[in-house]
Parts: sequence; structure tokens; C-alpha cells
Amino acid sequence: MTDVVDIVGLTKRYGELTAVEDVSFTVRSGRVVGLLGRNGAGKTTTLRMLLGLARPTSGRATVFGHPYAQLTRAAHRVGVSIDGIGPTGAGSAQTDLRIWAKTLGLSRTRVDEVLEQVGLAADGHRKLRDYSQGMRQRHALATALLADPELLILDEPANGLDPDGIRWLRELLRSLADEGRTVLVSSHILAEVEQMADDIVILQKTLRYSGTVADLTQNGGVSLESRFFDLVGPAVKENAHA
Amino acid sequence: MRDLVAAEWRKIWAGRAWWGAAAAAVLMCVMADAGFLQQEFASAPEPSDTREITSTLVQGWFMVELAAAVVAMVAVTREFGNGAISRSVLLSGGRGRLLAAKLIAVTGCGAVFALGAGVLAAASPWVFLAGRAQEPEWTATTTWTLLGVMLVIVVGAVWGALLGLLIRHQVAAILTLLISTWLVGEGLLRLLPEIGRLTIDEAMASVYRGGHEDLLSIPWALVVLAAWILAGTIAARTLFLRRDLP
Repeated sequence: MTDVVDIVGLTKRYGELTAVEDVSFTVRSGRVVGLLGRNGAGKTTTLRMLLGLARPTSGRATVFGHPYAQLTRAAHRVGVSIDGIGPTGAGSAQTDLRIWAKTLGLSRTRVDEVLEQVGLAADGHRKLRDYSQGMRQRHALATALLADPELLILDEPANGLDPDGIRWLRELLRSLADEGRTVLVSSHILAEVEQMADDIVILQKTLRYSGTVADLTQNGGVSLESRFFDLVGPAVKENAHA
Repeated sequence: MRDLVAAEWRKIWAGRAWWGAAAAAVLMCVMADAGFLQQEFASAPEPSDTREITSTLVQGWFMVELAAAVVAMVAVTREFGNGAISRSVLLSGGRGRLLAAKLIAVTGCGAVFALGAGVLAAASPWVFLAGRAQEPEWTATTTWTLLGVMLVIVVGAVWGALLGLLIRHQVAAILTLLISTWLVGEGLLRLLPEIGRLTIDEAMASVYRGGHEDLLSIPWALVVLAAWILAGTIAARTLFLRRDLP
């Protein structure tokens, strides 16, 4: 298996504050990788640096062997849903998706397909401001799926989903991985990640773990939650910036 | 690139900002023209030359420039506000490409406003002088005034987008635009005319024949406008390529 994502010595500082420090890990092709960490642990910052939305203070991050900005047809190969990236404000979900589809040079039928895929086919005409949090998550996922990408990068996609939605998301991500796609998904919901992920990366500003779920949990002998808290240590009050 | 420009074009016209700004601009222009005529006919029993009145009624439509600038600015800053700018960058094939597409789209937006204002401005002398003894007299000066008005509307849209890219925050950007339009240019022109006439707003006034004696000649005003747009583009591009996105 080849490395789809390669992060080496990644550090991000905002003045005196260090959001991410010397983080290195890889994501292998065809795997579902759970990116775990507390609020402010640097998960989103790491993903933003990977995508070239934020400039690293030091280190490098590549997707399919290249920095995202230099990757040919990057938008068609990588689908993204990250906290803070919103819709265009174009009104309905369908209109918003059509704008992004146009940006990608895709047809309108692809919009209908992804709306169907995320379970919003009947609600595509509705205004996005009238969507529930769960529907917005599905909409963000639809945007990420538009180009039928090889790699999906999802930041807290289960936030706001109800139990049915969480199960649907797990099954969707697993099915995408079964098709040979790679999924890098950050989450707070440890039990969910344990069920869907092949590999785990744990961040708490620095890298605490990168490897398989099986190794981390000793083939199920120890819970992911227990191992997570062992690795990140006790919660301390600190400035969160990630 | 064509798809990217088309997508940026759709973003500009999405939402209600454009027609609100356009309606406000039309209202302001109508009120300005009506006010001018009322003053003109009230001040003297024999009003000015109808050729001058015709050109002044056409010139009154320069205020659409502000609407075009606001619409372009809102289209840009809205993306920074809702975070869509990050997706735009991710899907567009690079920040430089996206910036170029945005500037092309806002230039087109400015052209739409310019065409609309051009039609209304050209019709306004006949509308406002209807039922009066005077007939509109269209001259070469009126034509140049109309073209000047249309040009500054296009330039205004590009300038609004550039300010939006530089400032990123919608309210701050709009306040900056309004303050610079209503206070800075005019104030500097009164206090330091040599500097004031070099501001973008006073250079625009030269192009649509604003009538102030301290203004630049039209060729020099065009050079100054080009310099402002070039400087704004370089600054916006530099910041857009380097700064982290929200």
C-alpha cells in the first residue's frame, strides 16, 4: 500500500502559541484513518496545513506525493469537509452544490447523485439556513463527494448527526474504503472511530500515536477510550487554538 | 478556467445583495437628478443651456459605481465570512487562478451594472424633461460623460472586490469604501487639492466629468485609475497568496 498522505515534522505557531508541534504520520491507501484529539489538539490545523489553507511554520505535508497546491487535478482527487468551510450562501443546497459542481466542471446530474447519496434528495431545494445541523453535515459531505474523490478528508463529520445518521455515516465511509478510497476522518466520538477506522492517529499538539487500531487496542483487549486517555494525559485548561 | 469564472459569476448574483444595492443606487440617482432639475428651474427664470442639463442628468448616474463596488465587495467578503473561500481555493486549482477568475467575474458584474446604468442614464434626460419646455440636447460631451460614467462603474466593481480581498471583513470593507468615497477624496481635494485629485474617487470624478476645477484631465485621470487598480491587484494578490485562509 502506498502513502496517500505524508506529514513530516509539521509545526504551526501563532505567535507565542503552538498549535501543532513536530507532527509526522502517514495515511495509507484504501484505509479509514481516525484522527483523534481533544479540542485544541491541532487536528483541524493539521488538516488545514495538509490542504495548503494554512502555512506551516515548519515541516511539510503532501497528498499523493505533492503539496496540495501543486497536485494535478487536486480538487478531483481530494474531497474535503472541514470545520469552518461553509457553503456559498447561495440559498438552496442544490444551488450551492451546482456552484461547486460548476467550479469542478461537473454536470448538474452529479449534484442530484450526491444529494441522493447523502440522503438529501428530497430536501435539495430547501434553503440551507433552514437545515438542521445534521443536514448541514450531510450537505458538507455531499460537497466533498462531488468529484468522486480518491481521498476524503473529513473534520468531525458526525457532529450534529443523530444515531441513525452516525450509523449511516459509518457505513458510508466503510463502503467508500471498500471501493479502494482513503478516508482521513477526525472525530471526538471514540467509540465510532473504533468501529470504522483501520488506523488511528492521536494528536495532542504533538503526535501521541500513529498505527493500527488493532495494535493500539491490543486486538480489542483494551478499549480505544482507555488507550486514548493514557496517551493524551489528563485534561488541563489551556488556550485552545485549532 | 471558463467553468471557474462561470461559478464565480453565479456566486456574485446569488443572494439578494445585488438587487438591494442596485435598487438603492437607482433611487439615489433618480433623487439626485430630480433634485438637480428642481434646483435648476427654481434658481433662475431662465435655466441653463439644455445641453448642459442633459449632460448633468446623465452624469448623475455615476452613483451606480458605489452599488457595483458594494456588490463586488459583498461577493468577496461573504466568502471570507462563511468560510466558502477555503473551498473555493481547494476546488479552483490554486489561489492565483481563483483570484484571476474572481477579478474577471467582478469586471463582468461591473459591466452589467454599467450597461444598466448606461441605458437609464441615456433615457433620463427624456424622462426628467418630459412635459417641460426644454428638449434634451445630446452632444458629444454627453456621450463622453455617459462613457465615463460607465467606465467608472466597471472600475468601481473591480476596486470593491480588491478592497474586499484586502480587508476580508465585510462590515469593515464596506465602511472603508463609504468613508473613502464620501470623506477622504472630497476632503483631501478641498484641503490638499494636489493630493486629493490623485485619490481613486476624484480620478473617477475626472473621468465622468465631475466638474470640479481641481480635478485631473481625463487622460491623466485614466492613468491614475489604472495605477490604483494595478496597486490594488498587486497588494490583494500578494496577501491572498500568502495569508492563511479562515
